[in-house]
Amino acid sequence: MSDGNSREVLRVEDLHKSFGGIEILKGITLAAKPHDVISILGSSGSGKSTFLRCINFLETPDCGRISVNGEQIRLRQDGKRGAFVAEDPAQIVKMRRKLAMVFQQFNLWAHMTVLQNVMFAPMRVLKIDKKDAELTALAMLEKVGLAEKRHHYPSQLSGGQQQRVAIARALAMEPDVMLFDEPTSALDPELVGEVLKVMRALAEDGRTMLVVTHEMGFAREVANRVVFLHQGRVEEDGSPDEVFASQKSPRFQKFLSSMSNK
Amino acid sequence: MNDLADYANQLLAGALVTIELALTSLLFGLLLGLTAAWAKLSPSPWLRHPVTLLSNVLRGIPEFLIILIFYFGLSNFLADHFDGAIEISPFFGGVFALSIIFAAYSSEVFRGAFLEVGRGQLEAGQAYGLNRVQLFCFIRLPLAWRTALPSLNNMWQSLLKDTSLISVVGLEDMLRKAQIGAQYTKQPFVFYAAVALVYLLLLAASNPLFGALEKSANKGFR
Repeated sequence: MSDGNSREVLRVEDLHKSFGGIEILKGITLAAKPHDVISILGSSGSGKSTFLRCINFLETPDCGRISVNGEQIRLRQDGKRGAFVAEDPAQIVKMRRKLAMVFQQFNLWAHMTVLQNVMFAPMRVLKIDKKDAELTALAMLEKVGLAEKRHHYPSQLSGGQQQRVAIARALAMEPDVMLFDEPTSALDPELVGEVLKVMRALAEDGRTMLVVTHEMGFAREVANRVVFLHQGRVEEDGSPDEVFASQKSPRFQKFLSSMSNK
Repeated sequence: MNDLADYANQLLAGALVTIELALTSLLFGLLLGLTAAWAKLSPSPWLRHPVTLLSNVLRGIPEFLIILIFYFGLSNFLADHFDGAIEISPFFGGVFALSIIFAAYSSEVFRGAFLEVGRGQLEAGQAYGLNRVQLFCFIRLPLAWRTALPSLNNMWQSLLKDTSLISVVGLEDMLRKAQIGAQYTKQPFVFYAAVALVYLLLLAASNPLFGALEKSANKGFR
């Protein structure tokens, strides 16, 4: 393995976030090395989605530090409202290019075809010319097994297919880290497998992934690290073997038993 | 009927003025309406409140009155302050009045349409690094456009007919030409019925256009 393996692609330190006076994240620290696949588990309200959304600034954290590839995002306190804002909005845009997000509700752009969805951000944000963007897009669609649907609109696809297109859209950005926000939670049970299969292949390709999920199988078998959040704090953190075997925290035991009862 | 034929050229010239007036007002009305909708949705109260108030006031006054107030009001103002160095033509006055009327209504249509755009669609744009202008031009506007089109079609129909109100300030549009013809030939019914038919035909011709626009905007939606 190269020496790049020891560096961190993503570092989050002491992240706090409140909504309407209620603290959702109470100081979360997490670092990801290249090729890490980190599953973030937690019951609803544990703050796991908020955590992910803070990383690419869909929510602005109240305080804490986030660095991508060693570059720290600078925040400053907005004088009037006391909220934190990015010191330089262009820096946020730059960071977001390195972090591609896959949403629970897919969020494909409804007025664009599958191909346009995948080409769009590389063309407009990375300024790649149309031909190259199209070639990359087709290759990514091939990877998720949907190249033949390229001229369809998202509404003509099943949920599982839409999520696979969303994954292709994320891949086309050639991100350093992929963020998955409950990627299978909105899917009918029979469609979950096809999406997990694609994600498993990405993990095998060595993609760095942060995956908020309820899929215990994925966490056990694919992730090399499992983080359990409870009420805005990290309760468990370690390799799947450690975390699932030892189950140190009683809250994690309770969470696991509630999941297996489903 | 021969009288009508004698005036055909005049009526045609009037029809062209009507079409020009309607299309120019549509263009400015759409741009102003979009800008006003953006202001109404702005987080800044200094933008939001005045624009909302202005649009409510404009929508609360009959169109005919707005035209009179703006045309004669503006003419007097310019005459008083610039000694008649600047005069507004009836066409310019008409475009001005009709555009702001169109904007007052369309700003509400656009505002509603912008609010309809799903949050997830915008978040995906943000997450993929689009800047504010790109987000607006490529995601928000195309999605809102689809919702707004049926109402805009309705408003276009009103606009085309409202151009006839501009004849009161002396614009030689189609209706004014018909009035002149009717007076000279003493055949008001023939002339008014003829231009009524032209208004109908113009609108009938614009319907398929809107149909095509709606069809293209609805691609991708079931």
